[in-house]
Order: sequence, then C-alpha cells, then structure tokens
Amino acid sequence: MPDVSVVVIVYNDADRLPTAVQSVLDQTLRDVEVVIVDDCSTDRSFDVAQQLAATHPERVRAFQLPENSGAGGEPRNVGIQHTRGQYVMFLDSDDVLEHNACRNMLEAAEETDSDIVSGLCVRLHKDTRNQKRDEWYSWLYSTTRTLDSVTELPDLFVWDTLSTNKCYRRDFLIENDLRFPKGMFYEDLMFIADAYLAAERITLIPNQVYFWHVHEQAAVKSVTNRRHEMTNYIHRLEVHRRIDALLEQRGLTGMKLAKDVKFLKHDLVLHLRDLPFRDDAYRQEFAELSREYLAGIAPEAYERVLPIQAICAYLLQKGDWDNLIPAVDTLINRDKVSSPLAEHDGRIYWCDGHFDDAFGRQVLDVTDIGYHEKPVNQLFLRNQITRFSEAGNAVSLAGRITNPLGVIPEGAKLKAELEFSARRRSLQSFTFPVQTVRHDGDAIAWETTADITAQLRPLGIVDTIWDVRLSLDVNGARTTTRLTVSDTELAGGPLPVRPRLTRMVADHIEPHASSKGHLAFRLISESRNAERVQELIAKGVRGKPGTLAKNGFRKAKALRKTLTSGDSKLRAYHEVFSRLPIKKRTVVFESHLGKQYSDSPRAIYEEMRRQGLEFEAIWSYAGSPKDFPKDATLVKRWSLQYLKALAQAEFWVDNQSYPLKLTKRPETTYIQTWHGSALKNMGFDQPSLKAQTRQQQAEQQESLDRFDRFLCRTEHDARTLAKAFRLKEKTLLRVGYPRNDVLVKARQREAELGRRERGALAAELGIPADKTVLLYAPTFRKAGGRHGRFALPFDVERFADEFGDRYVLLVRSHYLNHVVLPPTVQGRVIDVSARHDISPILELADGLVTDYSSVMFDYALLDRPLMFFTYDYDEYVHEGRGTYFDLLEHAPGPVVRTEEDFFETMQSFETQQLEYAKDRKEFVAKFGEYDRGDAAQSIVDQFFAQWSR
Amino acid sequence: MTKSNAAGPRDIFFVSNSVNELGGITSWSHQMARLFVEQGHRVHVVGIVPPPEGRVHELAADLPYETTTLYDVHPPSVRPVRGLKDKLNLVEQRRRTAREAGMHEQAAKMSALFRAARPGGIVIVTQVWAMEWVALADTAGLAVIGMSHESFETCRRSSRFARVKRFYQDVDRMLPLTREDADQWIRQRMDNVGFMPNPLPFFPDVPSDRSRKVVASIGRLHEEKGVDLLLEAWAKVASQHPDWTLRIYGSGEEADALRKQAAELGVTNSVEWMGRTSDVAGALRESAVFALSSRGEGFPLAPMEAMATAVPCVAFDVAPGVREIITDGTDGFLAPPGNVTEFARHLDALMSDKELRDTMGEAARENIQRFSTDEIVGRWEALFALVER
Repeated sequence: MPDVSVVVIVYNDADRLPTAVQSVLDQTLRDVEVVIVDDCSTDRSFDVAQQLAATHPERVRAFQLPENSGAGGEPRNVGIQHTRGQYVMFLDSDDVLEHNACRNMLEAAEETDSDIVSGLCVRLHKDTRNQKRDEWYSWLYSTTRTLDSVTELPDLFVWDTLSTNKCYRRDFLIENDLRFPKGMFYEDLMFIADAYLAAERITLIPNQVYFWHVHEQAAVKSVTNRRHEMTNYIHRLEVHRRIDALLEQRGLTGMKLAKDVKFLKHDLVLHLRDLPFRDDAYRQEFAELSREYLAGIAPEAYERVLPIQAICAYLLQKGDWDNLIPAVDTLINRDKVSSPLAEHDGRIYWCDGHFDDAFGRQVLDVTDIGYHEKPVNQLFLRNQITRFSEAGNAVSLAGRITNPLGVIPEGAKLKAELEFSARRRSLQSFTFPVQTVRHDGDAIAWETTADITAQLRPLGIVDTIWDVRLSLDVNGARTTTRLTVSDTELAGGPLPVRPRLTRMVADHIEPHASSKGHLAFRLISESRNAERVQELIAKGVRGKPGTLAKNGFRKAKALRKTLTSGDSKLRAYHEVFSRLPIKKRTVVFESHLGKQYSDSPRAIYEEMRRQGLEFEAIWSYAGSPKDFPKDATLVKRWSLQYLKALAQAEFWVDNQSYPLKLTKRPETTYIQTWHGSALKNMGFDQPSLKAQTRQQQAEQQESLDRFDRFLCRTEHDARTLAKAFRLKEKTLLRVGYPRNDVLVKARQREAELGRRERGALAAELGIPADKTVLLYAPTFRKAGGRHGRFALPFDVERFADEFGDRYVLLVRSHYLNHVVLPPTVQGRVIDVSARHDISPILELADGLVTDYSSVMFDYALLDRPLMFFTYDYDEYVHEGRGTYFDLLEHAPGPVVRTEEDFFETMQSFETQQLEYAKDRKEFVAKFGEYDRGDAAQSIVDQFFAQWSR
Repeated sequence: MTKSNAAGPRDIFFVSNSVNELGGITSWSHQMARLFVEQGHRVHVVGIVPPPEGRVHELAADLPYETTTLYDVHPPSVRPVRGLKDKLNLVEQRRRTAREAGMHEQAAKMSALFRAARPGGIVIVTQVWAMEWVALADTAGLAVIGMSHESFETCRRSSRFARVKRFYQDVDRMLPLTREDADQWIRQRMDNVGFMPNPLPFFPDVPSDRSRKVVASIGRLHEEKGVDLLLEAWAKVASQHPDWTLRIYGSGEEADALRKQAAELGVTNSVEWMGRTSDVAGALRESAVFALSSRGEGFPLAPMEAMATAVPCVAFDVAPGVREIITDGTDGFLAPPGNVTEFARHLDALMSDKELRDTMGEAARENIQRFSTDEIVGRWEALFALVER
C-alpha cells in the first residue's frame, strides 16, 4: 500500500499536467502514487495522462469521466474511489506540491494519529516579475498544533476552506462518506466543512505544502460576467445555508458566530465592492438575495467586524441605498470619510436616520473612531463626480465633496485645484485651477474645465496611467481628495494628447475608474501601427540597452537612498560636523525626543530668556514646529541642521535622549534634566536590559555616559535612576526639577494668600469658576481597545453624568497614546493630551488621578488630593518590569482597583484633602526633597550666568 | 534494553568540527555514538579539524567505534570577499584558492568512507561549519541529517544563520532541538525541518532527598551563564533564609568579578565557590534546588540532570529548550529573562516550602524521563525509517 495517493484533476490543461504530476513523483517521500482524473477534456489532456501512466506504470494511473462534470468536485470523488494509499491528497493540474509536502504531512499524521493534516498554501502570482507570493491565512499556520476538534479553532473552519493543502486519512474519507457536492461552485467549502466536523483529530503544520499558481486574468466586465457574478453569489449563499444547517444540527453556536463574522468581513465585502459599478436592477436583486441571509446573522457578529463592514451590512439589509453606496466607498478606501455623519444626543453616527432602531444606533455609532476630533486637513473626504463631459479637447468636470459634521464651515475661504500625476511615482504632474467651489447644502460643490490636450504632456512610455486628485484649501488648511466615479458615465471617449518622447505609442488619453473607484486616465493609441511600435519598444526594454538603462536607474536610486540614509547622516555628523569648531554660547534644547516644547528644558530656557542672557538657543522638534518658541532657531530632529547644531553646541539640554548613536564631543556639556522620578524599574534595572549580553549593555552604557550632569529631585533618584544608569556620583546635580519650580511657587502662593488662584488656562479651557478640576493622567500603555487606541478604564459618559455638575475632568494620556472622547461629555471632560507642557495643567488641577505615572511625584508638591486607579496592578508589577517600591504601601492617597471603587472613592474626593495630608507630607519628604522652587535659577547661575554680557 | 531493529544495522557517521573539542557537542555525539553501537549500528565519528589548543576533551581509550580527523592542522581561515579591494587582494586570493583545494581533498577522504557504507547509511552533521565539507563529499545512497544545537534565536543573531539556511537547505532532514525552534526554522522557509531533543545524560539510582539547604548552580563562570543575575536574586532571598547556602560549581574568567560582586551584595557568607566538579551527580544529590540563570541556552543538560536527581529548578525562560525541559509551576519555575525579582520570588517559594520542593522534585524526576536514552534512541530510529520511506 502506498503511503500517500495524490489525486490530480485535469480539465483541458494538457500542457501543465506533466509539471503537476512530476511534483508528486519528485517528492522526498518515495512511496507516493498519482491518480489522474480527467474531467472529459476536449484537448489532449487524457492522452498526456495516459502517457504519464505508461511511463510510470507503478506509480501513475489515469482515469476519465464519461462526460464533463463542470467543476472540480466530481473528478475528485472519482479519484478517491481509485486511491490505494493510506493517505489521500488533492492537486490541481496547474499547481504543484512542495518537495517535502508528503513526507511532512505523513510524519505529522502518523505522530498524532490525525484524520486531517493541513499545511500552508502559497499563492504564486506567475505573471509578476518576481513571482509575488502570498501565504493563504498564514496566521493559522505559524506553529505546529494538533486539535482534537475543529471547534478549538473556529477560525480554521471559517477561513481555510481549501481542500487541496491537506492530507486525509483514506479510511476517514471512506468511513464518513466524505464527497464533494456535484455541479456547484464552492464545492471545496462544503466538502471541507463536512471533513472538519467529522475529523477527530486535525494537525496543522507551518510547512509550505501547496503552491497555487495564479495567472492574471483580463478583467472584462461584460453583462454575461455580471450574470455569472450573480450566479456565483447565489451558489455562495446556498453553501453558507447548508453549512449553517450543519452547525445548527450539531448545536455549534460558537462556530456559527465565527462564520457569521467571516461572512460580514469577507464574503459580503467581495460582492459589495462591485455594487457602485452595477445598475439598479443588479443592486435590487443583490439586496433581495442578501436580506434573507443577513436576517439569520447573529447581532454579536456585527460587533466583531470593522465598523464600516457592519455599517454596510446594516444599510444593505435596510435597503438604504443613499447611504450604502457612499459607505461602500469607505469599505474600499478604509481611511475615507464618505458620509456627512450626524450628531445625535452627543454621539456621532454614520448617517442621519435609523435612530429609532436600537440595533441601528449601535451599528452606526462611530463616535469611537474620533472623526469629530479631526481637523479638515487630517480627513480624507469623499469627492463624487456629478458631471463628466468633454468639450473639444477639454474635460468638463463637476463634483461634490462630503462635508462631515460641517468641518468645512460656511463662509470659509475655499480654493481648489485639480492635479494630474503619473501613477509611477515622482515623474511629473500637472495642475489645473478649479473655477468654482462653494457650499451646496451639506456638501461642497465644485466645477471646472481642464484643457488636457494643451496642458497635459506625458512622457509617453513610462507614464501610462494618470491619477487625478482635487486638493481643497479651507482657510489655509489643505485636504486632498480623489474623484469617485459612481453612477456618472465617463462620456466622451479618448482625448488627444502629445507625449513628449514619442507619439508613436500613444496619442490619446482615456478616462476610466480605478479598482478603488477613482477617476484615472490611461494613455492609448488610436493609430494603426502603434502595436508594432509597442512591440519594438518592449524588445528594446527587455534587450541589452534597456537592461543597461534600467540598471543605471536602479543604481542611481539606490545611491540616493544611501546618501539620505541614517548611516550617511551619522557619518556626516562624526566625520564632518564634529570637526568644525564648537560655537560658543550655543545650547541645543530638546524635550521628549523633540515631540514637545516642555518640561525642564523649557523651564531652563525660559529662565535664561528671563535673565536676558546672550546666547543662541536651538530647539529640536519632531513633526511640526508649531508651538515652539519663535525667538529660537528651530531644527527638525535628525535633519542635517540638527546634527550640525548638536556637533557644534557648547551645551546640550535634554530630558530623555538625543539619538543614541551620536557621540558627544568632550567640549560639549550635556545637562540631562530627566523627566520624572521612578516607580518602575529603569535603565539596567529593567529585566530586558539585564538579560542582554555584556557587549549589548556596553553599547547602551555608551549613550548614557554622555551625560555630564544629571538632575535629581530627591535622594530616591540617586538610589534608583542614577544607579540604574550607572552614573558617577559627580554627575549628579541635586537641585530639583526646573519644571517643578512653578508648582512649588504655586503652593507657596496659595499658603500666603490662603486661597487658590486660577491662571489663564482655566479660562482658555472654558472651565467655570465653581467647578472643581480633576486631572486623569495615566502612564503609557500598549494600545488596545476596539480601534487600537488606548481605552479609558472607566466609562467617561458615566463620569460626566454622575459628577459633571461638580467636576471638570481633564484627561491627559501619555504622549504616545491617544484617547477619543464622545461629544456627550463636552465641557465636562476635556482632552488636554495635545498640550505640550503638563506643568500649567497640574497647577490648575484641584486633584489628580493617576496610576504609576511619575506625575504623582510632581503633583504631590502642590499638596492636593491624589488618587491611584491601578486596575492592572498585579500584571504591572509581576509581569512587567517591576517597581522600586510598593505603591500600595507609600501611596499618599486612596488606591482603587476596580471601576466601581473608582466611582465610589470619587464621591469623597474633597475630604481626602485632610485625610491624607500627613501621607502627602511624608511622600514629598521621601520623594521630592530637593524641589524647592529655585531649580532653574540655580542651574542658570551655575552654568550660564557668565553669558549675561 | 536493545530494541528490535527492523531496518537492521546501519552505518552511521557523525561529522563535527572536531572529534574531541571540549564542550556539549562532543559529549553529546559520543553519548549518541555509544547508544547507536548498543543498538547494533556501526558508527564512525569524523572531525574536520583537531580541537584548538587547551580545548581538548580526553576521550576514553577503548571507544567501541572509529574516529577520524581530516586535517592535521587547521586550514587557513578566510574572510568573505567584499568589494573590488578584496577581489584584487592577491595574497588573500591565494589563501582562498589553497583553502578550496584543501577542502576538496579532505572531502574526498570523507567520500571514500561514505562509499564503503551499506545502503541505508546515515550521515549526521552536528555543526553547520562541518557541513561545508560534507556538501563537497559524495553522499550518494546515504541520508544526510543536519543539526543545529542551539536555539533558533541564538543562531539568528550569529553568522551561522545564513550558513544554516544555505547549507542545510537540501539535506534530508534538518534538526534543531525543539518543536518550537523547528517551527521558527520552517517559517524561514526550510521545509525539511524536524526536531530532536537531547537525551538525558544520566539517571541516578539515588535521587536527592532535598533536605540539605543548598541551592546549586553548575556551569562555566562566563557572562552567558548569568551567575551575576543569580547573585542578585540570591541577595534578595539570602537574608530571609540564613540557614541556606548557594553553591556555585564551575570555573572561568568571571570568577574574580563574581566574588567581588558577592561581597558588594553582602552575600559572601552564604555563597560557596566550589570550583569545577567531575562529580555532577554527587553535587546534585546534595542540593535541594537548582538554579539555571543563563542569558542564552539551547537544550541545557544541567537542569535535565538536576531533574533526574529529583531537584526542582528555577530558570530564566530564555529558550524553547528551557521551556521544553521545565514545566513552569509543575516541576520547576520559570522567570522572564533578566527578571531577578521573579527569579528570587521563585527561589524563595521553593526554599520556604519543603513540601513544594518534594512535589516538584518528584514530578521533575518523573517528567524528565520523556528524554530518557530509550526514548531518544527510539526517536532517532523512527527518523532513520522516515527518511528511507
């Protein structure tokens, strides 16, 4: 008995059949037989099969169906009948098996006694230059695992529905009478569902086993094809119904849910994508078919897919075409906002309407996506073409741009232009002014005429496809849109153009809709001998001169890449800039890797300015220079100017780290202010650094050894941070943090006046005088939540409802996290994360809620109530990097672990002022004794006083 | 103990960098060679070069199998060619040519050995460097098995990574140490990968009764073994357990630095520096807890030996091999790499609780037998059969 029988099915594929069969004969496992089943081909397929059988009489047998069955199912059924091996695999005549596939499958099957072994299928795109590969649901195949039932891994059941990348125990197939359904598309889906459910053991292996050869097909969108699409969909739904019935029979509701999720995410999306390009009759029939099936989908499934997928399914079921077609635009172009959105009861909804349906409200609620918080230049807006016509050699266009939540205000100054650019990057582009652009109802309407023939000059060979964008200027803020083709015919045909290089290959340009539904143009030729010229050029491109030219171009590109790479910049820093003389009286300031103008570097800088010192201040910024001081030289982090400034500076003043690989010159003094005392282990006290080899540690140490002075605000810093960074005693500067001077002074002023004064910030944030201000400032967390954002550990809407009449809550997430607040809480909960400097916010807040953030040490200086919301304490302490002291023991305020306790303790927030007074005092004495309000001044005195003239 | 061997006796060749270089691979290959001889196979251990000076492992005089070393002296070492400058370097060029000629000459010697083998013969290449010679030799009719005796991660960070992918691409089976490592190699698109754990070096008749208040550590005093981390962890628990001792077996270049560190941590009195020992079994029998503080590992023998002696281990979870040997919370404890606080917490748990030590120790002795020599030899026989099918 052979170890494995491979059933190879063929239909009119005589040329490729031998390759498929050979991939079985060449297996590392020797005892493998081939059973070829020909689906009554009309070409030489069966002859070829018989020849193969004759050449390998021991190993290959060939069979033929009496008449064509129309699909792959029946030939496989027949094949199974003829197999003799212990295990059975399937192979299509245009694909091949991986060299070791049978051996790996067999080994896994025998070791685990599995009914099915499944491996990785790889799709190879044969027509692409480097045979692009994509792995079929590779996340299911990252490790070897054995399942005692497919219910352990519902994702396998719903996603990997191929029959070909698997090896089946033959007796298992026979005993369970597993067969492919006859005369139906998606025969794999049904067969594999039956097989998965029947299997008592399934093993997955990460090995590649099957290479699925993909050949590009010409995308002809004819009516017959559309008919074919609909039939496809009908068959797809039918298979889904049958599988649902199977699952129901067995009471597998969990699996049904997983399958529903997949239907919304995958099956439905495949067909929805085409809807904007289909006529009304098609849409109606499609909706009719879908509605019935969607009714059976579990409501929970909607929560487990992307919001836009749920929205489309819901609108389809409701037959809300006006909202559905734009929604499909977002389905295809994920970042796009294609709907005007609607605000209702303080929440943001995808569209107006359906508010009377509780489920609809839930599905259409897009508050958490945060559209309402984005300025217009961060939005990708839908821009639908409403008119397309040609007049002579010009195109006349009109369209409507979505204006979600009125983000483009009435009366805004609007300007727009159309840009045509070659899809192959950085070649050339042409712009045309847009003649009119104005508000029109809930959208922005525009129209223009572009004289393409006169002004668009392609090169002619390398820039065949041209994309069109419209950029809209709203009071100086720019947003770029793509032109969506939907329900508007691109009338008029090709327009003449004059390519610069040659008109022999192309002399016209023709509009079309791209696969994403956007307007694009394609260069074509109307002349008769263009094909011949095209051929000649293609020959040249593939030939020697072409190769030379292409290689030259690639080399030039590679050179440009190396010149602008990090390595070259480092070389420039070390070998050029560092040889220039030091510029006296220059200081390069940086805060949090250039992300902010804040913290102690800012406090020192402001003190220097206050004293009127004469020096050159250079501030580093990452991203935008907005909000950085205007009286300083601003340099972008990692730019050449930045590197030059650092190389020549007399002082570096920073609170985190300059790029690790930059060596500091001995003539430069580095004042490291640091950005907070430590609760959690830092530097070499972190497990991850301890686990490093000595050499890796030495590299880290080198960057830390650049610090000439290191500020301490408490002896605790000397015991923890300084030790963790392995700093020398003489580098420590026990003066306190300059950023905290304002806090100490505020406390002193409050004591003198006997009351608290509110600064300008309260008015700026619109906080009424009678409200108590609380600040929630948690530490950094890896993003989680539904949209990959940091999710608040309590319900802000509940907070606003319960405490909104007394408190205003300021939320400041770590600068690497981002929160979204619903409009319901407006005025009662305010996001202050974007503000550079936290000190004025601390000064404003009457109380602080934090977890493990170092802000606790600074805030304690104000002697106001603190509360600790440590919902993940055990995880943080044991699984994370550990802490220097036990927060539960030293916390100068209540520590709560659950949301309920949080709300409960919030009730008594005011009384904590007195209750914890002693603890706060001790806390400051232990963790803040050097913060005395004169840090900035004493640093300036020590290092910069001589610059006063 | 010899199992019936369906395929009959085979010719088995081990090919390593050296036949007798001090270290784990030599111990392993000679242990396996002996086991295969006991199975009735004919074994030949081949080394490419003599071991470097001072790194010689004395082999027993009466080995029941042959050994061969190809080179008399180490061949010239060469750098990879980079850029025009290297191409024009004639001295270097000549060295390279000489080396290549030498390689072919030595590979021919190996081919002669291989040709004498009966059908069904097996070549086990224990290190990828040696594979460069095997690749030049004539292995027709034999199955070639390439091994990587380290974790995937360790290999990935070394220069061996690219060579493993190149030279082991077409061997009949490539074997790392664990399933987890194998899966990682497979994802590098090596589809000929299986795995093979190391066998238990010994199984003592008399286990430890874990009543001596001793925590033991055995290994070279090298930074990779992380004894510095062990001392840090020890400093966190020693004061609460004044009657306990940490015995550190082994010698090496770090000895002085570690003694100094112990003094700084104030644990000099509770740490005993035992030096190198030839009686590992005895050392383990006298201890109650074993500490494996390494920064990197493959499939470490020391904790296997400890477990065989019924001593529960605390280890940093630095490699799949470690996870494979110790089941966290059942027959020992694992701490995240470098997390000395957790390591100390686990030590403390075992030191404070004799009953826990007993339960885990007995479980360890039981569980570790899945790597008994019988089990591992059985795996090898199954593999030999598989590559022949």
